[in-house]
This record gives sequence, structure tokens and C-alpha cells, in this order.
Amino acid sequence: MNPFRAIAPYRDLVANLVGRDLKSRYKGSALGFLWTVLNPLFMAFIYIFFLRLLGGRGMPITMEDIIIGVFAWQFTVQSVNAGLNAFTGNANLVKKVYFPREILPVSIVASALINFLLTVLVQWVLIAFLLWRKGAMLSGWTAALPAVVLYHTLFNLELVLLVSAANVYFRDTSHLVGLFLSAWFFMSPVMYPLSIVDTLSKSWPWLHDLYQLNPLTLIITAYRALQIPGATFPWSTAALVGWLWPLVAGVVIWRVFRRAQRYFSDLL
Amino acid sequence: MTAIEAQNLGKWYHRQGIGVPTLLGTLAQWGRRHDTERFWALRGVDFKIERGQTVGVVGPNGSGKSSLLGLVAGTITPSEGTVRATGRISSLLELGAGFHPDLSGRENVFLNAAILGIPRADVRRRFDAIVDFAGLREFIDMPVKHYSSGMYVRLAFAVAVEMDPDILLIDEVLAVGDMAFQMKCLDRIRDFQKRGKTILFVSHALDMVEEFCDEVFLIHDGRLIQRGKPGEVIFSYLRAYMVRLGLLNVEEHGTREVEIRQVRLLDAAGQEAATFFTGQPLIVEVRYHANRPVEKPVFGFNLKTGNGFYVFGSNTQIAKYPIASIAGDGIMRLTIDPLTLMAGRFFLSLSIHSWDHAVQYHRQEDLHPFIVKDASEHKGLFQLNTAWELKPAS
Repeated sequence: MNPFRAIAPYRDLVANLVGRDLKSRYKGSALGFLWTVLNPLFMAFIYIFFLRLLGGRGMPITMEDIIIGVFAWQFTVQSVNAGLNAFTGNANLVKKVYFPREILPVSIVASALINFLLTVLVQWVLIAFLLWRKGAMLSGWTAALPAVVLYHTLFNLELVLLVSAANVYFRDTSHLVGLFLSAWFFMSPVMYPLSIVDTLSKSWPWLHDLYQLNPLTLIITAYRALQIPGATFPWSTAALVGWLWPLVAGVVIWRVFRRAQRYFSDLL
Repeated sequence: MTAIEAQNLGKWYHRQGIGVPTLLGTLAQWGRRHDTERFWALRGVDFKIERGQTVGVVGPNGSGKSSLLGLVAGTITPSEGTVRATGRISSLLELGAGFHPDLSGRENVFLNAAILGIPRADVRRRFDAIVDFAGLREFIDMPVKHYSSGMYVRLAFAVAVEMDPDILLIDEVLAVGDMAFQMKCLDRIRDFQKRGKTILFVSHALDMVEEFCDEVFLIHDGRLIQRGKPGEVIFSYLRAYMVRLGLLNVEEHGTREVEIRQVRLLDAAGQEAATFFTGQPLIVEVRYHANRPVEKPVFGFNLKTGNGFYVFGSNTQIAKYPIASIAGDGIMRLTIDPLTLMAGRFFLSLSIHSWDHAVQYHRQEDLHPFIVKDASEHKGLFQLNTAWELKPAS
């Protein structure tokens, strides 16, 4: 079944679910949006403060790097956390009304994406300001950002399809995912630059390749490379594999999801 | 053309629910034999429903009716066999399933319609009709969490029927809402029928099933055990299941100092019958056995409709027919003549108790069903003797 054709007649449903989610998140107040920006921003400040405290000025990471890293990380975490309850939180709907089940993961990711795009606007202003103080400007490559955002969104959708279905079958998935996310946070260059891994991989050469198989490493590094002038993306075979394997995994996850969703209403 | 077709359709669940499934729990049981018993909610169901037919599904609670509707709607996946429905389905399985309490009625109309797959442009065009049908014009911008349950249901029903589906699935939802709204819903269902839509209708309101359906399925223990004309199927359902398992307080109790041994319902010719006619007599013959002599016993009866509405009750005390005493076997005859009930299904309760109501010797609550048919076109519960008289002023 073509996944996109199945969803197409339900565009309105996705739009409505996203609207419902955003409305209840922002509760009609501008402060609601402020919080979604303030939260990752505050995290970024904490990280930079402690990194400076621990590592001194020599820490090879800038405020811009951390802001970009935290905002991108938030996009994935928000998707996954909301995705856990995509079906378990809508049991009534799933049991009583038929609609293509992927609608719920899709609308969760869509809603997180809108949030992310809004925060990216704030992020641009901040980064442009930080760069301006150093006499630099946002890189021209920023224009290519949508391609990475698209990839990032699809990657998040895969994760959400996976955890939302898994949580129907195993209700302790959320605990497992919580643990995994904490580990993943440190395994991705959210609050440190890739160069730290380079230092480490002098003693363990395989670490460098392994690290680049993590799609979030590539996504975050790509965001930085595109926006910050002078930052480059470290192309390698491992990085290429890292970019490509989620696409293959996506097909598998999609198939698994289609099979799993048949019994959702029995298990909810 | 076939609208719904099922072949060897079956659905099972694990009888022993593992509660909430967890990964750790599953791992802990890894390798152990899975001997959870299967429970067939529905099995071996074969049928075809032609387009434009209205089919009622009756059966006791837990017999598999709702599973059948879920399977047709696509919310449940069959364990075996197939079910195929041609055309757009709208299910009134659970009204307001997609409502969000914090959103206003207006926003929920669009959300709910989207869940049902109605294009936004269609909803916008029909929005006024939906709101008028629900009768909620003043409240449409209020969050639905402040709605009464009746308002909630009215709005949801209005959205569902405005979807203009090819197949409408209805699961016992018409019992909600006030009388006026029910009438509007029934009108809308008649309208669906006129336009050649297919309707699958689960209900315990047997009179409604009989009135609306072309055919009725009787489901029991997950099997489709009978299908046919509404009157016939409903009747066998009533005799066989309703009385034992159904909606009414079907029960027997008492000290059995006096026992009701046998009850026969007789028509004008003295023949045992289950169907009686308005205006004709109905005779209830009660064979009793008094295990000891009893002073001043009272025989009583009452009649209820199929949905438990108390129609009439009386006893020998009220009717001033004192009985000095009874002993051993005997027959009590109650003659209702003429029977002034209108067409419908009724349940007869019988009791024998002491004169001061202190001791219930034997009471059979709603144990005896019967059908009343009416040759006239009058409507209602009772036959009233009426006469019209026209007096023009000039």
C-alpha cells in the first residue's frame, strides 16, 4: 500500500489533530509559545554555563553550537515523547472509529515540526545576533536547511511509528525509551562538538565510525555546518551509511507498523 | 449489489487477559508455554447484505454484536475469514469518540467530521444544517466540556448523519437524547432508507428493530444462529434469550409455600398462543400448588413493555376478589378482555403473596413474554375508545 495515498483523504484530519494539539499546548496565550522557546534556550544556557565552569574557556564549543544542538534535540525528544501515547492516549478513538492509524503518528510529528520551525525562527535571530557580535553572519548555506529539516522530520516519524506501536504492545516501552533517550543525548553532539569524539577516537579508531552511524549526530552537525560560517560537515563513508540506513529502516518500520496496527484495538 | 459481505468471519481474544502487557513481563515468561485460552467473540459468520437493506442485529449482551459492527467498520481486524464493505462507512458506534473537551462545539464539529473522513469543505457547507439538527445554535462556541450529555450526543449524531455515508452502522446509540431528538434521528434514518443506503443496526429496542429492519440477525455466543424476517427472529429471540438473559428483571423468588407450577397464555379460542390481537381477549391460566393451606392469598400480575415500562398492574385484593384460602392444586384464570394494548412486546409478571404483602410465596418477574398485534393503523401503547365529531360553526 502506498503510504501517502492512504493518508491523502485524511489531510483534514491531520490538520485538525495538529490544530487541536497546538491549541491545547498554547491555550490561546502567547506565553505558551514563549515556554516552548524558553525551555530549550534555558537548557542551552545551563549547558554552556557548566561546560565553561568545568572545561574553562578552552572548551571548543560556542553558544551557537549548543543552541542549534538543543533545539534540534528537542524536536526529536518532543516527537518521541508525544509519540509514546499516540495510541494509548487515544484508545477510545482507535477502538471506535476507523481511520488509517498512521494518521496519529503523522500528526504528532507534524505538530512537533511546526513547533520546531517556530523555534528555528527564534534560533535564527539569536544566532544571527551572536554571530554579529563576532563580526560574522549566518552562512549562505542556511538556505539548504529545509532539506535537513525534511530528513530530520522523516527520521522522527520513523521513531514515532516505532515507539507508538511498541507502547501498545508493551506498556513499559516508555520507561525503556526514557532510559534510551538519556543515553542517546550523551551519544549525540548536542552540548559538545564533534571534535571531542575525534580526540577520543585516537585511542579507539572504530569509535569515530560508530559515532557517525548515529543519524542525530549527522543531523545536528549538518544544522551547524549549514548555519555557522566556517563550520564544515565531516564527510566519510560512515557518515554516508549513517545518512542512508534510516531510509532503509523506514521501509522496514513502515511494514512492521502496518502489521502491528491491525491488532491495536484488541490491545488498547 | 452487495454492500457488506462476510465469509467465515471470526474474532478471538485471549480469555486470560495479561492485564497491561509489558516488555519485562513478556521477557519473564519467555519460553514458557502460552496456554491462554482463546475466547471466540465471533465465529463462522457468513452473510451477504444487499445494498439498500436495513439489517438489525439482536442478541443478548456479550453475544458478539458489537464485535460484528467493529469488524464491518474496520476498527477490529478479523482473526479468521474476511469481511468486505463497499462504500463509505459511517459508524455511530460511539458518539463523540473524537471530541476534545477543551475545544468549542464548532471546532469539535470540524475535528469529528475529519475523523469520520468528511472533507472540510463539505462540513463548512453543511455546518448550519448540523448545528440546526443538533439544536445547539446558542452553545456552538462553548467548550464541549460544559455541555450536558444530551447536548454532546446530539452534536455527535448530527455530525455523523451529515456525513452522507453509503453504509451506516448504528450501535445502540439512539437510546440517548430526549424524545424529540430521538424522533428527529428516526426521521433521518428513514430518510437514509429512502435514499437506498445500507444500514446495520444493533439494538435492544426490539420494537425499533422490527419497525425499521428488512431483515434481522440473531447472534448468540458469537454465532449467527438465525436470520430472517424481523417478526420471526425477534420472537424466537424473546422466547429463547431475552427472558433468560435480557434487559428485564427476569427472576423468580419466593418461599414457595404456594408454587406457580405452570402458566399458559390463551387466546379467545382457548388455544395457547404467543401473539395476541388488540381488542381480543387474553387469558392467563396459572396452575398453582399450595404446599400447605394458605389463608387469604393474593394473586397479582403486572405488564411491562420490552424496555421495562410498567404498563398495568393489579391483584385480587385491589380487584376486590377475596380468596378465603387455598390448599393443594388449583387453577387461577385471569381474563383480560378486551386487550387494549397496542402492537408491541410485553412481559407478564405473576405473583402469589400473603394478604399483607409480608410474605411473597412465589413471584415470577417478567417471565412471560407475549406479542400484541394490531390490525388498525393507530399508534401508541393503548387502545383508547375514541370518537370524532365535527360541528361546523355555521
